[in-house]
Amino acid sequence: MIENTVMLLIIVPILFSLLFVALPKSLYKYLAWAFFIIGVALSVNLVLDGTGVVQIGEPNFAMFENIVLILEVLVILFILAVSAKYKNWPTLGLGIVSAALFAYTFTNVPGAEGASFNIDQFSQIMILIVNIVGTAIILFATGYMDEYEEHRHLHRQKTFYFTMSFFLAAMNGLVMADTLGWLFLFWELTTLCSFVLISYNMDEEGINNGFRALALNLVGGIALSIGIILLATKYEIITLSGIGTYAGTDAAAMAAVALPVALLCIGGFAKSAQMPFQSWLLGAMVAPTPVSALLHSSTMVNAGVFLVVKLVPAFAGSSLGTAIAVYGSFTFVMCSALALSQRNAKRVLAYSTIANLGLIIASAGIGTPLAVAAAIMLILFHAISKALLFLCTGEIEHTIGSRDIEDMSGLINKAPLLTTLAALGMVSMLLPPFGVLLTKWVSMEAASSNPVVIVFLILGSALTTVYYAKWLGTILSSSMDKNAVPHKKPETYFPLSFLGLAIVVTSIFVFSIYNYFIKPQVEILLKTAPVISGQAGQFTSEIGAFAYAAIFVVLALAVLIYLATKNMFTPRTSSYYMCGENNLEKDRLMFRNGLCSYEKSSVSNIYLQNTFGESKLTTLGYAISIILIVIALAGVGL
Amino acid sequence: MNTNDILLAVLVLIGAPIIGCIASGIDRKITARLQGRVGPPLLQPYYDVKKLLSKDNMVVNPSQNFYVVVYLVFIVLSLLMLVFKQDFLMIIFVYTVASIALIVGGMSTGSPYARIGSSREIMAILSYEPVLILYALAIYLLTGTFKLSAVVDASSPLLVYTPLIFIAMIVVLNIKLKKSPFDYSTSHHGHQELVKGMTTEYGGPGFATIEIAHFYEYVFLTGLIFLFWASNPIIGVLLGIIAYLLIIVIDNITARVYWQWMLKLSWSVLLIISIVNIAFLYVSGVQLA
Repeated sequence: MIENTVMLLIIVPILFSLLFVALPKSLYKYLAWAFFIIGVALSVNLVLDGTGVVQIGEPNFAMFENIVLILEVLVILFILAVSAKYKNWPTLGLGIVSAALFAYTFTNVPGAEGASFNIDQFSQIMILIVNIVGTAIILFATGYMDEYEEHRHLHRQKTFYFTMSFFLAAMNGLVMADTLGWLFLFWELTTLCSFVLISYNMDEEGINNGFRALALNLVGGIALSIGIILLATKYEIITLSGIGTYAGTDAAAMAAVALPVALLCIGGFAKSAQMPFQSWLLGAMVAPTPVSALLHSSTMVNAGVFLVVKLVPAFAGSSLGTAIAVYGSFTFVMCSALALSQRNAKRVLAYSTIANLGLIIASAGIGTPLAVAAAIMLILFHAISKALLFLCTGEIEHTIGSRDIEDMSGLINKAPLLTTLAALGMVSMLLPPFGVLLTKWVSMEAASSNPVVIVFLILGSALTTVYYAKWLGTILSSSMDKNAVPHKKPETYFPLSFLGLAIVVTSIFVFSIYNYFIKPQVEILLKTAPVISGQAGQFTSEIGAFAYAAIFVVLALAVLIYLATKNMFTPRTSSYYMCGENNLEKDRLMFRNGLCSYEKSSVSNIYLQNTFGESKLTTLGYAISIILIVIALAGVGL
Repeated sequence: MNTNDILLAVLVLIGAPIIGCIASGIDRKITARLQGRVGPPLLQPYYDVKKLLSKDNMVVNPSQNFYVVVYLVFIVLSLLMLVFKQDFLMIIFVYTVASIALIVGGMSTGSPYARIGSSREIMAILSYEPVLILYALAIYLLTGTFKLSAVVDASSPLLVYTPLIFIAMIVVLNIKLKKSPFDYSTSHHGHQELVKGMTTEYGGPGFATIEIAHFYEYVFLTGLIFLFWASNPIIGVLLGIIAYLLIIVIDNITARVYWQWMLKLSWSVLLIISIVNIAFLYVSGVQLA
């Protein structure tokens, strides 16, 4: 029964969060395994239940509505209390504004008679991401956190697992809720959870970054709640699907709701850390790696793009849609350029996340059936690849003690399985036949009718290739020192291998995924399906064809040829060519200098700090992104 | 897939390396004459490959030859996709796989020379990839599809509407063929100061594979120039040959520049003229008849 599954998806993670608090640390491993298995079972069950709307009417509604109100009050009180405690006045101010808006909503907006959860194919995909990728990350954490806390002398694992599990509950609620008031509660709950998780270390940096995340997301939340109030009072729209029904594909109705829709989108931009809100996600990397993985892949940032894609029927083809497309593609190119200049692996991944979310938003803004299909597919593929990459980075950090890309050279000799998985994650982000590139192809084909957007996408795409290629080359480069030993715990390596396998499987079955989930969803949103024909193994749109099966075959062929010819030419290993200067006793990478002593040669990648560095681009990014948002708002306000 | 397609595929698989080999031989011959030498026989590249294949398989990293195989296989795939008039955007992405495989292969050896060469080649990707995709975009704007069949079936040549992109593509050809002034990622022939860039640690059969892949790549890259006049195959082939000869002349009359210079040239001049061309196509709305 779909009602039961919906309720269970919210209640079970809360139950697990309480179990994590109640049970001792020695049992966390088993709890996480159980959570993973139940998460997979529940989310698959939701898909099997099919789509539908779950209405919550009297008499239960009154009770639930009271719970929602109490929770909202508690959230606001918590924000006020914590920002007063740490004397963070901007956050306190934003908290007071939120409280005022809540009071206004409570007194002036007419109450509803019922609430509803809307389970469509998009919600199903999101539930799969949250409950499979999300629980896999929690499982990884059980093999990661002990060592993390040991280094930092922390004992806060109860808080950690409680918040992580609660986060999944809030996220499940967010992607299923149709009633805007309830959606808003879940929205604020994810903001709160991310605040607790980012400030996990409780040092100055952690707390500052936590407050930055809280403040910027409160700005987004305020935009969201103003949008919701406008929709409820002016147009009597109280559900997310109601916006689509109201606007339809009718230009006049679209123009009427443009202002509240734009405000909802700004809420989404803040949540998805788009420029100018990107600093909170960059700051979030002070938290333990599982937190970053969770924020970047399966929860938090996905909530923002989820909302924007759901709003597609209210701006598809309008000038607001064009503004959103330009804004998203601008973030894509800007953050790709910033990622190029970073040496810190987590920062590269953070900018890559923001850039890819920008691509999703750009695709949603273009608003053609093909582009919207690309947006939803990208959310799925990006979540899996990015979760894998973040967890690998965390594990690499525990293996070699650094997250600097330059220190990762020779990783393939030190931890072959880990490196292979990380390489798979990177390859899946930029090369065919994997899903992310397929969606990039689709969005480029869809964007080709808008010259500004397509030029941004082209530049961003080249930059993306560059920053992943140099990282990929670095981890795969061999070196002669072998002093790091990977510790192979099943809790860490199982989620990594599982995510790696998921990348391959979803890329092979991309057409089935498209047919089952994405095509019906685009039909719901835009009333027309993308003109994509073809069968398993090939995508054929009206303007091109993507034969991904052929590439899989050729890739397999390359492996076969390599294995077959490997023994034809027996390799003879020799040392590097160093112009005859190798010092074989010490290290094969040593040169003799002018004083007849030896110096180690070292090479680093090119980072173009002077062109694409943060100091050069961030201000420009802020200025242009703010101008774009102001133009979008001015366009709908007038 | 019918018999004709299979025959064509086999013809490409066998014919392309022969053409590429001869093209490479012509290159060495012309270069030698321009430098006042007699030069090697026309089939010297073939003799080189034959000799390399008979040598020991010396490696510094047991898996380094895997990347070379990927490089070869994906170059062949992109050439086949070009011949079978597939989606051009897709061809560029497949071609990127080949380029990345060679770079990663160079880095995988861990040798400092190879790593310097590879980082420079990564910068080359940053320089040429946007221009290539803008070329694809021009084809889309002119025909309404990314499929190359529309370009080949059209009665008027692409070059008439895309002269600026053609100029940019000549430079891209120069970068991709790793010819002077952009030959810093694998230095060729006489100028050996960075040993041999990305391919420093390759020798024997592994290096032979790279050379064979280069033969295919020569044909693939001139094929991209051929597309500018695909409506008349004879003029198209002539255009490809002229472009190739032009690259050889440029190779001989220019000195190597810094990679920074290439990046500046590409992201200022090449991108701007390509975008101007795209803007013209977008505003005028012309279609390839």
